[in-house]
Amino acid sequence: MPTITHLSEAELFGLAVPPAGSPEALPAHLSDCLSCSRALQEWKAAVRALAAEDAEEISRRSEEEWTAAEDRTLDAIRRVRVGRGGSGLRWTVGIAASLLLFALALPVARMRHEAGRRTNAPEMSAEDQKDDALLRDVARLSRGEDAGGAWNSLAPEPGAAGNSGEEDRL
Amino acid sequence: MTATLTKTWLATLALVLAAAAPLIAAPEMPDGKWWKRPRLAAEIHLTPEQSREIEKIFVQARTRLIDLKADLEKKQLALQSSMDDQTVDRKAVERQIEAVENARAELQKARALMILDMKQVLKPDQWERLRQLQQEMRERRQERRGASGRD
Repeated sequence: MPTITHLSEAELFGLAVPPAGSPEALPAHLSDCLSCSRALQEWKAAVRALAAEDAEEISRRSEEEWTAAEDRTLDAIRRVRVGRGGSGLRWTVGIAASLLLFALALPVARMRHEAGRRTNAPEMSAEDQKDDALLRDVARLSRGEDAGGAWNSLAPEPGAAGNSGEEDRL
Repeated sequence: MTATLTKTWLATLALVLAAAAPLIAAPEMPDGKWWKRPRLAAEIHLTPEQSREIEKIFVQARTRLIDLKADLEKKQLALQSSMDDQTVDRKAVERQIEAVENARAELQKARALMILDMKQVLKPDQWERLRQLQQEMRERRQERRGASGRD
């Protein structure tokens, strides 16, 4: 009787999170093995749940919140190792993979957030952005915050010019 | 020597005029198209209808703002050229300073009236919250500047 080789956690993870580009071909074993097929579905569900987390929410987390989340995850890994013995490995791999996903998702979320800030939110069309610049210039000029090193701007108001950063956050 | 003294005097006069401008300043609100910024709009519970109304007010004021801004910039440029000139005509520069500040006052007035019209669209608590946000942003900016100044 031939020995059945089930898919490893790493292989299942690879199938659940295929590299960008062409879709990963599924191993023939999956169509025969109910256990591996179910495991893959679980992995996919976990990945979807992680991906569904609001990118904005993630990017707003402070350093302390990230540290706390990391500590909680590491504690969970330690508890699983102690309490579940051999099967703990499966959980450890799963949690480690989740952490990896978070680590990958965070820069993407931050990039999206930063891009949103730079472009003044996706709701603004090119026309809106031009108007936005006009209004900022008008505000700056009417407040007497003339930039460009002109002789009459030697002593600008404290916190006056070049001040859009805070507002862009809103 | 006389030219340098004249330049200094004129620069001082312009600084005094520029410093006086904010005293007659318009009611403030966040710069730019703040009603198009989703988080800010959410913060003050701006309705889509209010947003449309505010956009309409801006569109009505836009052409005049563009003209007045260009006028001010042209006058600033002319003044700058005169100030950079080796032979300063004191009277001419004085007139140019006045022209710059008059142009600025016109721009300020147009902006203030636009803000006033926008204010009418908002409910008092929305207006108050908007001003609060503007104040918070300004304070954070100043704190950050203070911190970077200490570094």
